[in-house]
This record gives sequence, structure tokens and C-alpha cells, in this order.
Amino acid sequence: MEWTVSPSPPTAGPLTVALKLAEGTKPVAGAEVRLEGTMTHPGMAPVSSVARETSPGSYEARMDLSMAGDWILLVDARLADGRTLKRQIELPGVRPDGRPG
Amino acid sequence: MTGPAPLSPPHPGSSGFDWLRVPVIGRFLRWRHCRMAMQVPLFLVGMAMIVHGLVGPQLAPRNLATLLTWVHFRGALVLVMLAGGNLFCMACPFQLPRELARRFFKPVLRWPRRLRNKWLSLALFVLVLFAYERFDLWASPWWTAWLIFGYFAAALAVDAVFKQASFCKWVCPIGQFNFIASTVSPLEVKVRDPDVCTRCTTLDCIRGTRGTPGEAKGEVIQRGCELALFQPKKEGNLDCTFCLDCVHACPHENVGILTRLPASELWSDRRRSGIGLLSKRKDLAVLTLVFTFGALLNAFGMVSPVYAVQTWLAGLLGTTNETPVLGTLFVALLVVEPALLVGLAAWLSRRASGAPGPLLPLAVRFSYAVVPLGFGVWLAHYGFHLLTGLWTFIPVVQEAFGLGAPRWDLVGFPVRLVVPLELGFLALGLLGSLLTAWKIAEREAPSRTAAAFLPWGSLCLLLGSAAVWLLLQPMEMRGTFLGG
Repeated sequence: MEWTVSPSPPTAGPLTVALKLAEGTKPVAGAEVRLEGTMTHPGMAPVSSVARETSPGSYEARMDLSMAGDWILLVDARLADGRTLKRQIELPGVRPDGRPG
Repeated sequence: MTGPAPLSPPHPGSSGFDWLRVPVIGRFLRWRHCRMAMQVPLFLVGMAMIVHGLVGPQLAPRNLATLLTWVHFRGALVLVMLAGGNLFCMACPFQLPRELARRFFKPVLRWPRRLRNKWLSLALFVLVLFAYERFDLWASPWWTAWLIFGYFAAALAVDAVFKQASFCKWVCPIGQFNFIASTVSPLEVKVRDPDVCTRCTTLDCIRGTRGTPGEAKGEVIQRGCELALFQPKKEGNLDCTFCLDCVHACPHENVGILTRLPASELWSDRRRSGIGLLSKRKDLAVLTLVFTFGALLNAFGMVSPVYAVQTWLAGLLGTTNETPVLGTLFVALLVVEPALLVGLAAWLSRRASGAPGPLLPLAVRFSYAVVPLGFGVWLAHYGFHLLTGLWTFIPVVQEAFGLGAPRWDLVGFPVRLVVPLELGFLALGLLGSLLTAWKIAEREAPSRTAAAFLPWGSLCLLLGSAAVWLLLQPMEMRGTFLGG
């Protein structure tokens, strides 16, 4: 799985996460992909999103990071053949409101 | 097990509302085994936290060790302290293994005389604050679990070797936090009627109750205060763990849990049992300063400006290693800043009031004034985490014990509702500190009270303003300021 976020470096507020799922060189199309963003500090409100497939194997999710700090994105994908894929994306040091880090 | 004896009518000289006379609650608290009844469930929760921390998901918001320690325990602790008293020490699960162990062996050593002060526990308190920031303990279930385990082990080890409640009185950093915080609590374990004590000849509240020679071979069947607080001369909550041993030991039913004016003990300088004179206790004075400045430091650690300061410091020191940077920040905010501000306030106070005498004792006498404000900052900070994340334990418990689909949507109160409450806590703390500073000034300089008060009142206002500024900064929870 490959991923990018925009803006990069990430800031609090709207965030776009682009994911590419592939097995070898073959894109994995038709997966249901859910993302949950959670801070490393316990007790903070998580944010969640369902990704849409923009082209075969490419998925995009929009999230709203509620606060600056260290975030972890939990990717939970159910593939078309029933297999599941779970990955963790670390986003350390998300800056507040678009200020440079 | 036996139930508590029926309670005699209130003594004519008793003052304050007595919780031991409240139906059900009072009866439960007068029961000899009430402490253990509270410790057992908390002990089981503690065990679950250790196990989950070690083998559960290593994502802090989804682990009982990190969630319950850093959100629920800390928040509940300060709120209960505000509304009641030192109820965590009363139900302390760390003491349960020690209680059970002492049924089989008795320690023979007394705590070393040189260490009968707060310096060791003060150092441990600072160490915990430092480790929390340095190793991002809030983000590590594994390390949090070991911290809890270490606490159990340390309590057991210290009290296995040394007599009395040595761990509570001289070692436990949480205990010292609780002792200082409980000075602003509305409840106190105290004598109902002092006249009854003057007629008492057995002093069971401190010596313990002995069985008759034919019964239990004349041994102590109910211990007295293990923290050396002799009830007739006890004043305030310092060093009191609310264990209620004195309540159970007193043959005259003359000890209660009474209401009192919060913080009033801070401006009293009568000699108190097990403590002495506050004005002579440099260790306690420094502990109160670390309690208050540590509250600001701990809150500073989670707002955006701290990262700019740390990055600047890292550049200045020419390092990317977090330890020296954080160490410098700790020295600056816990040593240099308090020394300068308190020293300046003491100098100005002495100059304005014309009070003779050296500066250090004056600083010691006034330093207790900052406690209510410090407590307000801890309350605002920890209360924020608890209230905004109040329900987050439900999905974590569901997941840990397989109780249906976890409700990750359950969080807590919205930030916009909690922030006014935080400001209220800070205002309450500031008012308490101003009142305490005034009362101490009245005591120290009766003829020039306003002049003596002004520098200390200004210090409280300055610290209060800093706390409000911190509260209004954008929050940022990071552990990776140099590498992230």
C-alpha cells in the first residue's frame, strides 16, 4: 500500500489521504476502504472517513483533523475477494491551522 | 466480618457536617473493612490495566493502561479532591498487596531519620513529570503498564522493609501530589470534640487498640495512624491518607470526616502532629512550588508554543537529543523561574511591610499561597481530558472483553462546553490563592497587611494570567518535536 497526504506536511483541518492498493504491479480494485484517525494521546475524539475509488486501485479519503499533534490513521480495507487489509499510517507533528512546522 | 458499632449522638462541641453520620455512607465508612472493600475493585482494575498494557493493542487510545491512567484516573482524582477529599489514597490499590503481605511478616526497620522529609518524594515527583514528557508515557501502553507494575512493587518493597506507612509518607509521588491537593479539599478527618481527647488516656488513635491479654495475646488488633498524625494535634490534610485507622481505633467514636473551609489550613501556622510548623518546612514549601509550577509546565507541554521553545533551545544547545533540551526546560521552569519570582516577591514583601528577618523563611511562609492556583491548573488540565474523553473507556472495555461492537463514536463533552468550566476552575484557584496570600500577610504583618500582600497577590495574578494564556493556546499533543 502506498499513501500520500495533502497538505504535506499535514496540518489540523481538512486532510486528503490518497491510497494506492496493489498486489505486485496489479492494482487492487473494488475494495471498501475505511479510515479512522486517532491521536496518540488517549481520550481524544477520533475522526473517520470512507474512501472512494478514483481509478482502479486508487482511493481517496477526506478527513478533518480536529487538532494539531501526533496522529495515527488506521486503514481498514475489505478487498473484493473478501480478504481484509489493515495498515497503520503515522502522521507525527501535525501542525496547527496551516502554519509551517 | 462485623459491622460498625451504632453511633452515639453528636458531641456538643463538634463542628462541621460529619460524613460518618450520613446513613449508608457513614455506616460503610465506619466498617473496619471499608478500605479493603474499595481497594479490591481498584486492584482488579489495576491488574486488567497491566495485562492490557502488556499484551493488548499498543495504540494508546485503545488500551486500558493508557486510557484509564492518563485520562480517567487523573481527571477523577482531581475532581474528587475538589468535591470531597483524598479519596484515592483511601482506596489506594497499591497498598493492598502490602496489607496482605503484612499479615505474614512484620517489617523491623524504621525509615532512616535523614530521609524523614519530602525531598526524596519531591525528586520522584519531578522524575515522573520528566519521564512523562521525555518518554511520551501517554502514548505507550507498554511503558504505562510497567509504571503501574513498578508502583505496586515499590510500595510492597518499601513497606516490607520499613515499619509504618513509610511508602505513603516519604516516597509516593502520587501521595505527595494528593497531600498538597487535599489542602484545598472541603473534607478533613478530624476530632469531633477536643474535650473528649483531653480526657482520653489510651491514645488508641495513634498507638492502636490492643486486645486484652486473654484476647489476641494483647497485640494490636486495630492499628492507629501509621503516618504519625496524632488526632488531637492533627491539623489539615497534609500526610493524611484518609485510611480511617484513627476512626476505627478511637474508643470514644470521636473522629469524623468533617467539612471545613477549603485551603484554610494553608494560612494556619500552628504546630501540627507529624508535620511540625509549615513555616519551618522548606521541603514542603518547595513541594508546593513544584506542585504549582509543575502544573503550568505540564500544561505548557501540550500547547503549540512549547515546540517553538524546544526547537529554539535545541538550536541553542546544538543538539537533537530531547533529554538535554527537556532537562533545560525543566530547570528553567521548575527551579530558575520559581526561585526568581518567589525571591522577588519575598524581597518586595519584606521591603514594603518593613518586616525584619531573612528572606528565605519569609518565602517559605508565603509559598503555600500558590497551592490553590496550582490545584486550579491541574483541575483545568486533567478535568479537560476527563470530560472531553469521558466515555472513551466504553469502546475500549468492549473491545478488551469482547462485549459487542465497540462504540468508537462515544467520546465525551464538547470542547466548547468544557473550556468555560476550565476557566472557572482557574478563577476559583486564583481566588483561593489571593485569599490565602492575604491571610498569610495578615498573620505575618498585621499592621501592614496590604503592603505585605501586594507582591504575593501580584505573583498569583501573574501565574493565573499565564494559566489562562496556556488554556487559550491551540492544543497540540506531540511527542516528536525534534524528529517529527
